[in-house]
Amino acid sequence: MAEVVFSNVQKKFGTFTAVHGLDLNINEGEFVSLLGPSGCGKTTTLRMLAGLEFPSSGDIRIGSRVVNDLAPGERDIAMVFQSYALYPHMTVGDNMAYPLKKRGVKKAEREAAVAKTAELLQLTPLLSRKPRQLSGGQQQRVALGRALVRDPQVFLLDEPLSNLDAKLRGYMRVELVELHRRLGRTMVYVTHDQLEAMTMSDRIAVMEGGKLQQFAPPAEVYAEPANRFVASFIGTPGMTLMDGDLTRQDGCWTFSAPGLSLPVGPLKDIAQPGPACFGVRPEHVRIGEGPVSGLVQVVEKTGHENIVIIGLEGGQRLTGRVPAPQSWTIGESVRLSFDTDFAHIFAAGTHGERLNLTQAPRSANHLNLTTVKTETQS
Amino acid sequence: MSTQKTLLERRYATLGMALIAPTVLIFCAVIVYPLFSAIYLSFYSVFTPTLEGEWVGLSNYSELLQTGRFWNALGNTLIWTIGSLFLQIILGIGIALVLHQNIWFRSLARSLILFPYFISTVVAVLVWKWLFNDLYGILNHLLMKVGIIEFPMDFLGTMPNAMISVILVGAWKYFPFVVIAVLARLQSIPESLYEAAKIDGAGPVARFFDVTLPQLRDVLVVIIMLRAIWDFKEFDMIYLLTGGGPLDDTQTLPLLVYQEAFALNDMGMASAYAVVMMLIMLVFMLVYIRRTKDDGGV
Ligand SMILES: Nc1ncnc2c1ncn2[C@@H]1O[C@H](COP(=O)(O)OP(=O)(O)OP(=O)(O)O)[C@@H](O)[C@H]1O
Ligand SMILES: [Mg+2]
Repeated sequence: MAEVVFSNVQKKFGTFTAVHGLDLNINEGEFVSLLGPSGCGKTTTLRMLAGLEFPSSGDIRIGSRVVNDLAPGERDIAMVFQSYALYPHMTVGDNMAYPLKKRGVKKAEREAAVAKTAELLQLTPLLSRKPRQLSGGQQQRVALGRALVRDPQVFLLDEPLSNLDAKLRGYMRVELVELHRRLGRTMVYVTHDQLEAMTMSDRIAVMEGGKLQQFAPPAEVYAEPANRFVASFIGTPGMTLMDGDLTRQDGCWTFSAPGLSLPVGPLKDIAQPGPACFGVRPEHVRIGEGPVSGLVQVVEKTGHENIVIIGLEGGQRLTGRVPAPQSWTIGESVRLSFDTDFAHIFAAGTHGERLNLTQAPRSANHLNLTTVKTETQS
Repeated sequence: MSTQKTLLERRYATLGMALIAPTVLIFCAVIVYPLFSAIYLSFYSVFTPTLEGEWVGLSNYSELLQTGRFWNALGNTLIWTIGSLFLQIILGIGIALVLHQNIWFRSLARSLILFPYFISTVVAVLVWKWLFNDLYGILNHLLMKVGIIEFPMDFLGTMPNAMISVILVGAWKYFPFVVIAVLARLQSIPESLYEAAKIDGAGPVARFFDVTLPQLRDVLVVIIMLRAIWDFKEFDMIYLLTGGGPLDDTQTLPLLVYQEAFALNDMGMASAYAVVMMLIMLVFMLVYIRRTKDDGGV
């Protein structure tokens, strides 16, 4: 009974609009990430849900209750703050027990709950310390513990893993997903780390400039970005985006840029000839043969694969990615082609809408192609 | 780690010595020397105008402990210090909390609140004596008009009115110090602590006791210690307001020292009182040092 619904929620700070008419339907028990660059309004959105910030207009609903007029303590939520916000004068144990204490939970029960949560977060040896005697990562886990110790309807997490080292972050990611599965509670998770969002979420809400850009499962956000911003924001290394022109002849679309002319698949009805943008992910660039030629400019070796940056004749740069044993030397001239099934066409502008139609069925198709590719390679 | 000092360490040490030397010299001249001469004088019976006298050993001290004047003054000093300190703290915290809110006249109020603290004691006491005056004072006028009293009250000439008046004026004069110190601390408490407490289900009262007060604890220890020491040795305000009267009912230790030294011309005795005062304040100091060392604070 705890879906979370934002209907046309707007937040203004003075004349500055931090969140524009946000509509978001988060299902009960869903793990949703708010993902976006710094300053895009993620924290503001979360704080409105927590009741720490009041929407300038619109409604927020948790379960069956519109919570606009409910105090944070009445919303049955728990939150992990970006800055931890641990009570400095209380021990770790008291910090974690505090929300229970304020809700009138008996001492014995409190202690049991704290002990259990501390065990989960590997905090047991630290229970009698004060927050200032902890490292940043430990403090963050205590903050997480203070939220997890209760069983609220919705968990709100504001970049809870940002200060952990890579190994602990990986561990906590798995733990959180596992925890979410076990508790079955709705979780709203703010992050600017796409890896976190991609690996943990049921759905990702990509935000930018206070506007919702796309709200979809991770695979969909990756494979079918709603617009050019999402395409460029998601994926490391990022999608190659090239500006050029779209022309139509006999019902067939062609994208052309200096030194490049590509036939493109079926487009949406709204597509218009004129300036447009061609996007292709590094894994869909096939280096070795093809109609396009370029010069290898940079090769980045990550161990299991190599990222190859190629300068095209028209001056554009393009990123490709190949398994580790294959490599190219800098300055080498190569030919390449694109997996046009996975290439995208966006309308002009930084937030130009994606114009190509989805290739269905996506996942099967994708699997299929991968195997075909492997076969051709071997 | 070798215990041998390196050349660099020795150079730093020399530089350090050179830098603190002037301070140490001045400190000796204006603090250590008077301190020791007070202790020295307290073993003599000294006639103030000539500063001549003879060694009397501990007799000043035994006289001090036997006469009622010392105990009376000590009692008055404690009543005055505790009473006025208590009001200063309560008033100071209360007003700091109000000024910490986002009220539109906040910056104006903040500067106005400092007024009693910055006004010269002589001026403040003169104004208060007017207010207290039983013939033409506004306080009596208002109280009679409202009907609380029938005849003018003698605020400064009778007990316990005199002590209460002294305590009230003291609280009025010194509470701004508490306001400023507490306000500064309040502003440095992260807002997120309050937000976390709200989400954890704490109401306004619980937030005050669970977030604000623990955060204020350290600054309050410092304020209370400082104000206790300053109130304990307060002289000018009380002297100007009541002169220690009626009789010696508001005579505190500093007034007694002054009286012994310059009215009764017994510098030796006055020094003995001063030394005892210093010993009492030393206790405050030790408590303070213990408190601040116990727990490095938050
Ligand atoms: N109290 C405030 N007053 C004015 N502007 C604010 C306030 N809080 C946030 N903003 C502005 O609203 C925008 C969104 O802020 P928000 O904190 O939601 O960003 P964010 O997405 O959480 O970024 P980050 O990843 O850096 O935490 C920012 O441009 C910020 O400057
Ligand atoms: Mg944020």
